[in-house]
Amino acid sequence: MSVQTFDDWLYATPLSTSIRETGWLIPAVQSIHILAIAIVIGSALVSDLRLAGVLATDEAPSTVVRRYLPWMWSALLVLLLTGIVMILAEPGRTLTNTVFWTKMLLVLSAFTLTLFFRKPLLDPQFRADHRGWWRATKPAAWSSLAVWVAIIFCGRWIAYT
Amino acid sequence: MVLDTLFQRLHETQVASAIRENANAFPWIESIHVLAITLVFGTIVIVDLRMLGYAAHRRGLRRLILDMLPFTWAAFAIAVVTGSLLFISNAVTYANNVQFQWKMLVILAAGINMAIFHMTAHRRIADWDEAVPTPLSARLSGATSLALWMVVIVLGRFVGFTLAPF
Repeated sequence: MSVQTFDDWLYATPLSTSIRETGWLIPAVQSIHILAIAIVIGSALVSDLRLAGVLATDEAPSTVVRRYLPWMWSALLVLLLTGIVMILAEPGRTLTNTVFWTKMLLVLSAFTLTLFFRKPLLDPQFRADHRGWWRATKPAAWSSLAVWVAIIFCGRWIAYT
Repeated sequence: MVLDTLFQRLHETQVASAIRENANAFPWIESIHVLAITLVFGTIVIVDLRMLGYAAHRRGLRRLILDMLPFTWAAFAIAVVTGSLLFISNAVTYANNVQFQWKMLVILAAGINMAIFHMTAHRRIADWDEAVPTPLSARLSGATSLALWMVVIVLGRFVGFTLAPF
């Protein structure tokens, strides 16, 4: 089954149709999606700038990460769920769209960077002697911020491609 | 009405017609606008939640505000510039859009709420900087700010939807 056939099948399902026919539902879900990405961006900004050694350098990186990581995971879950509703409603806008798949790839990268460079800091057993890890932290933090920005741009461009 | 003439003039400016004529201009400006508002809301949420008593990366609220405010203002400035460009590209239509009018009013209300906080509870912040629970007036300001900015974002999304299905 090709992506196109799957698209057409999904588009015709009663669930997809009823989401589309409830006029306010899509903009409402998109609003929640934007609010959630704002939580991610705010958390990423503070955490990444701390890991990059720019902001709040007199606070321990683990303190900063511990405060924001739970918010980030929750917001990412909300993004996933609201994102699924949008795909269900308009599969043709996303599943056959290069910008959408680029965005998904970027989300996976940002997720991996977050998992790899933040989560270890929550472990009290994780010691500062991982020198290679610490050396990689700074570029990883800047990359993470850049990737989140790119994700937001892709998100808006999905509507135009 | 005098204002309608003004909006019509804005609509006819060279910048506005350049945005209308270049198919990529609107989405690019809109993307920057979305990035800016996520930064505005994302940084304000951190301060608002701390005002409600949720821990942030600073123990005290005073230093947290000092950390976050430069980002909030810079992002807000970018949101205003990009928002103005989007507005003039179709000034008369936006000006007459009910969701847009409400959005402007709610931004104004959020600004007044912030000003009140800075002129009242924030003046005596040294007395309660690290205290949790925070004073009632701070909790009220935080909750109001959170609610108003959420409404701003929702209205913003509906502005786009009432004019075109994007």
